[in-house]
Amino acid sequence: MNTADRHLRFGWWALFVSLTLGVVLETLHGFKLGWYLDAGQEMRRLMLTLAHAHGTLLALVNIAAGLTLRAVKGFELTRGASGALLGGAVLLPAGFLLGGLVINGGDPGLGILLAPVGALLLLYGVGRAAWDLAKVK
Amino acid sequence: MLAAVPATPPTNQAQGTGRFLASWTGRLGLLAIAWGLAMTGVSVLSADRRNQPPDNRPVQALDKGYVSSDTCRSCHPGNYASWHASFHRTMTQVASPASIAAPMDGLELTYDGADYRVERRGRSHVVTRKPQGAPASAYGAPREIVLLTGSHTLQIYWQETGEGRTLEQFPFAYLVAEKKWAPVQQTFLLPPDAGQFYAPGEWNGACMDCHVTQGRSRFVAGSRFDSQVSEFGISCEACHGEGREHIARNRNPLRRFALHLGGGPDPTIVNPARLAGPQSALVCGQCHSIWAFNGMADKIEWNQRGGKFRPGDKEPGLRWVVQPGGADHPQQREMLRQSNPHFLGDRFWGDGMVRVTGRELNGTTASPCYRGGQFSCLSCHEMHPAATDGPALAAWKTSDQLAPGRESDQACLQCHERLKAGIPAHTHHAAGSAGSSCYNCHMPHTTYGLLRAIRSHQVSSPTVRESAEHGRPNACNLCHLDQPLAWTADKLAGWYGQKAPELSADDRELSAGALWLVKGDAAQRALVVWSMGWAPAQQAAGRDWLYPYLVFALDDPYAAVRFMAGKSLQTLPGFADLAYDYTADDARRKEAMAAAYQKWRRELRPPGATFRAQTILDPAGQFRPEVFARLLRQRNNRRVFLAE
Repeated sequence: MNTADRHLRFGWWALFVSLTLGVVLETLHGFKLGWYLDAGQEMRRLMLTLAHAHGTLLALVNIAAGLTLRAVKGFELTRGASGALLGGAVLLPAGFLLGGLVINGGDPGLGILLAPVGALLLLYGVGRAAWDLAKVK
Repeated sequence: MLAAVPATPPTNQAQGTGRFLASWTGRLGLLAIAWGLAMTGVSVLSADRRNQPPDNRPVQALDKGYVSSDTCRSCHPGNYASWHASFHRTMTQVASPASIAAPMDGLELTYDGADYRVERRGRSHVVTRKPQGAPASAYGAPREIVLLTGSHTLQIYWQETGEGRTLEQFPFAYLVAEKKWAPVQQTFLLPPDAGQFYAPGEWNGACMDCHVTQGRSRFVAGSRFDSQVSEFGISCEACHGEGREHIARNRNPLRRFALHLGGGPDPTIVNPARLAGPQSALVCGQCHSIWAFNGMADKIEWNQRGGKFRPGDKEPGLRWVVQPGGADHPQQREMLRQSNPHFLGDRFWGDGMVRVTGRELNGTTASPCYRGGQFSCLSCHEMHPAATDGPALAAWKTSDQLAPGRESDQACLQCHERLKAGIPAHTHHAAGSAGSSCYNCHMPHTTYGLLRAIRSHQVSSPTVRESAEHGRPNACNLCHLDQPLAWTADKLAGWYGQKAPELSADDRELSAGALWLVKGDAAQRALVVWSMGWAPAQQAAGRDWLYPYLVFALDDPYAAVRFMAGKSLQTLPGFADLAYDYTADDARRKEAMAAAYQKWRRELRPPGATFRAQTILDPAGQFRPEVFARLLRQRNNRRVFLAE
């Protein structure tokens, strides 16, 4: 499987997972579950919403990366940049998700520690892709 | 080089810019920019004006170390939500259409020789006053209603005085549940001729001691105050201490997570639930107690710079908690006795039990449970319930903010485990009945406040002596209103070996409830009239004989007693829709009383009903004239002023 295919497949599956999370969150709203909606659960609501939003957005970023690889002749992602885009798209939403499952008042759970790691990977992956794309003639 | 510099482009550019500005697009663009700048200027100026603190009422100004509840909210949203739902928050509010519970616009009221008119002007309500019956042109200068006290039982309104931040009462309070206006003095248990309850400046000089968080009344001169508060109402920092250091230290996420994972206390803030019983109780008791300043210097210090007590302290700071009979603070006791000889009598029963609400620390510390060192308000109450959804919070705050399970015997059984197995054997009442409830016997309704009887917070066991010697209605007869004290003495002697005290002939033969209502003082009458509307008492003592007594109390000289008589009468069959105005004048009250009595006699009295002699009624249900008149002559007419 080439890099473009990998990003496309990952992107579409990640989009599916994130949209499923969105449906779950809508359901929690629909049934007015206190675990998610009570005033004291503000941090959980924020974390899970962020997990859903980032998961969806980063899935689209990976799909865009795959399409760019196919469309732009001479453009290639390094293994590191590709891995960073994939890893970041997993770790960032996973950090928010796990951080929201267990909360401490106004603080998320320890799972949130994955989020900054994912954010750094994404920064590197997107930056490197932009840099390599700029060099394509 | 100079010759090489092109001369034409700038000219072209200038011409281009000029052309653009001359075009309709350019003109509209310029107009839009000018409009935007003007609107921004207006916003900045109006925001600046809005941010100016008002000069006609006390204002919020954070005392050193305080941060306000808004700051606590972001990290403690659940606790903020429960506090926000609580009556502590709404103890004092800035007046606004949202906080005023009553429909006030266009309100016209008359009392004590004056007509009052309230109008809404923008977001404010203003009061004007004129002599009763004078033409409309006689209305005086408008006074803005600026603050209010209370939100669910009573709402009392405070208006500007024109003397800086000094406030005075609007003479009427709003009874929220009844949707009724009443003169403020008729919402307290006061002698009928007591006059205006709050003098101008009293909010600044006294009320704000407890009804705000870290208030400083800041007396200036004459009747002028420049009062400030850290927050209106009772907010987070009243119970947890100042939050500034706590926030500064916990900006570090590593510290926060170490605390979350370690589970230990955070030394930068006080959690009353982690304090030992006495300190924890004092957090609530800093306000919920009968206290006095240690001396004039401490009072001045408090008024100028705010209270010194901080949660976790062992003493109330600048003040002392007054318990009758103690040997502590001898000088201060003497000072109290000299300045107000009725201080103790207006607040305590003769045996030292507190009799006014809102002063629960006095009862708590006098309870045997307190001696164990663990007992505190939080043994039964909780301030931050786990569930923070709307219905859960609404249920919590209307159930006296009790912790889960504490509304039942479980409150006591958490310590008194050995009684669990044999409650009926201990109570001599059927399991699950009102007579078998720990609360009803050990925390009876012998405290008065907010136009009702409230449970005593001094956990005690009922005795006949407390009634015979000190006049305090005992728990047994607050249910068995129809029984004489001698009946109770027999039961307590038989069940618990209590020695029966010497009793008068009346106490041996006549219903204790009837005696308290006919010959008792206003405080006794208030409690017994309330109890006559209490379902467990009606069940134990029967309802039929209560009608004439409650009708009789509709014309009590004390407004608060009349109010409760009306409410209790409404609980009896046939009187649910009783239209009775307890604030009406004598003639209208007597009319209402006569109509209610006739209604009972003609429509509601069960045919063939006979009434027991001990209830002081003849078999037909009329007061036995000689006995009734004799007892009425013996009524204790001392002036009762219950200082809740």
